[in-house]
Amino acid sequence: MQSRWDIGQPEKPTLNSDTEQLKSELLTLNMGPQHPATHGVLRIEIWTDSEIVAHAIPHLGYLHRSMEKHAENLDFRGVIPFVDRLDYLASMNMEWTYAMTIEKMLGTEVPRRAELLRILTGELQRIASHLMAFGTYALDLGAFSPFLYAFDYREKILRLFEEVSGARLLYNYIWIGGLWNDWTDEQLTRVGVFCDEMEEEAKKYHELVSMNRIFVERTANVGIMNIQDCLDFGASGPVLRGAGMKWDLRKNAPYSLYNEFDFDVPVGTGEVGQVGDCWNRYIVRMKEVGESIKIIRQVLEKLEPGPIMGKVPKVMKLPAGEVYVRAECPRGELAFHLVAKADEKTPYRLKVKSPCFTHTSMLPRVAPGQMIADFVATVGSIDIVLGEVDR
Amino acid sequence: MSTQVHHSSVKQYFASLANGISTTLKGMWITFRYVWAVKPVSIEYPEIREVLPERARMRLFNDTQNCISCTQCAMACPVDCIYIASEKLPEGTEIKKTSNGQSIRLKLNQFTIDTALCCYCGLCTTVCPTECLTHSHDYEFSAYTIDQMKYDYLAPDIVAWRDRIVK
Repeated sequence: MQSRWDIGQPEKPTLNSDTEQLKSELLTLNMGPQHPATHGVLRIEIWTDSEIVAHAIPHLGYLHRSMEKHAENLDFRGVIPFVDRLDYLASMNMEWTYAMTIEKMLGTEVPRRAELLRILTGELQRIASHLMAFGTYALDLGAFSPFLYAFDYREKILRLFEEVSGARLLYNYIWIGGLWNDWTDEQLTRVGVFCDEMEEEAKKYHELVSMNRIFVERTANVGIMNIQDCLDFGASGPVLRGAGMKWDLRKNAPYSLYNEFDFDVPVGTGEVGQVGDCWNRYIVRMKEVGESIKIIRQVLEKLEPGPIMGKVPKVMKLPAGEVYVRAECPRGELAFHLVAKADEKTPYRLKVKSPCFTHTSMLPRVAPGQMIADFVATVGSIDIVLGEVDR
Repeated sequence: MSTQVHHSSVKQYFASLANGISTTLKGMWITFRYVWAVKPVSIEYPEIREVLPERARMRLFNDTQNCISCTQCAMACPVDCIYIASEKLPEGTEIKKTSNGQSIRLKLNQFTIDTALCCYCGLCTTVCPTECLTHSHDYEFSAYTIDQMKYDYLAPDIVAWRDRIVK
């Protein structure tokens, strides 16, 4: 299928004189690995014709820490600190998915309070991650102050996480079978207060950035990933929803206790620009913050005192077999494919299916025909974390 | 940039202009309000220090007087940064007790943690049966060489931290 962006090499300029022949060739340019717009250590080799990107090739591996191989030498509990380091902006969701993988294999029953608190932390982490995405995206496009406002509010979430888990970024909080620590009532009250503040703050962000004319001009109709491309490449999360498909694992394949909750799945509607462009991907994230607040409020209503740790064997050995568990993380569908052998304390193989990797692979598809400045906007809008791409 | 705005009429041209100016002013007003309406949130670090939460995981500290050399922490460690060496107590030695009543049956010869390797995950502190291995709240320990990041918790100067650090 020929996408309208897929123009291959740009046309040579037509010359007035027959004798005058200008030589035209593509200029190879490296964006990254230390480029601020690549959100980490991603190197993108761009072939440009003046301002137009003719071709973009992402080069991966600068943050490769062979996490999958490491996991094969660690006991099942010891993998959690490594799983944290995949998507370091949404560690809670990473831990949660990994814990679900092992629990499915063990057949552990997680107590209700632990499940609810997992949803609470997962959704708070989603807000924190989307705030980071919002702040850095505005920063990419040249607006500095939204970044500071977003970090101020992200800090409140991190402070709560630091109080319950002990760390700000790499928590090791969600354990196999439950949680490490319980939340106190005082902390839960603060979560409620935070939700109220965040709702007000989100309105401010909407006025400040979403509807700003400069921002709209930079993002609307830019970097269009249409629904067919998204399905072909296997995109998920805000990228897929920004392209107009209502697909959220929390709704479509509910895990944990998500089927008890009432929330919407925001999709890109094309109210500004068109479906699948940078603006729609961005607005899906901002709307998801609102939905997460909705879920957190419901969690706070449902919470009752109870145990937070299920029964797990002290020396953990899984039955032989394999399992594939996926969950909706802030950046899309994260999945773990675990192969275990009987009477072994370590995973035989732990494959990570990362959403960011899929989204990075879509860059060469959307890049041709864009201006370099628009390409920066596109890279920012898919919101990749290189820890997860390279693993 | 690549969006091509086609103004079909003069009216639309001015509407677009008004939209641009109003949204920009709105954003500038929000930012301008921060001059007086919002208090600063940043801390002037060396002078003013943030009070860390109770569970904050900073540098590890082992209270070696309570350690029974069970090596559970070293086994739980995902990065293998804890080095423990111990031997059997010579016969006839008085067996000491830890603060929670466990007998110390081994003589601890070495307890070193390489904080440069440590990933501060806290798994070692959860398995410790005598709760002698804890995360302290000390986070300022930069060193000139990587060897200085290895802390031998039997060294007298580090044992002296006990009164200062132990929670």
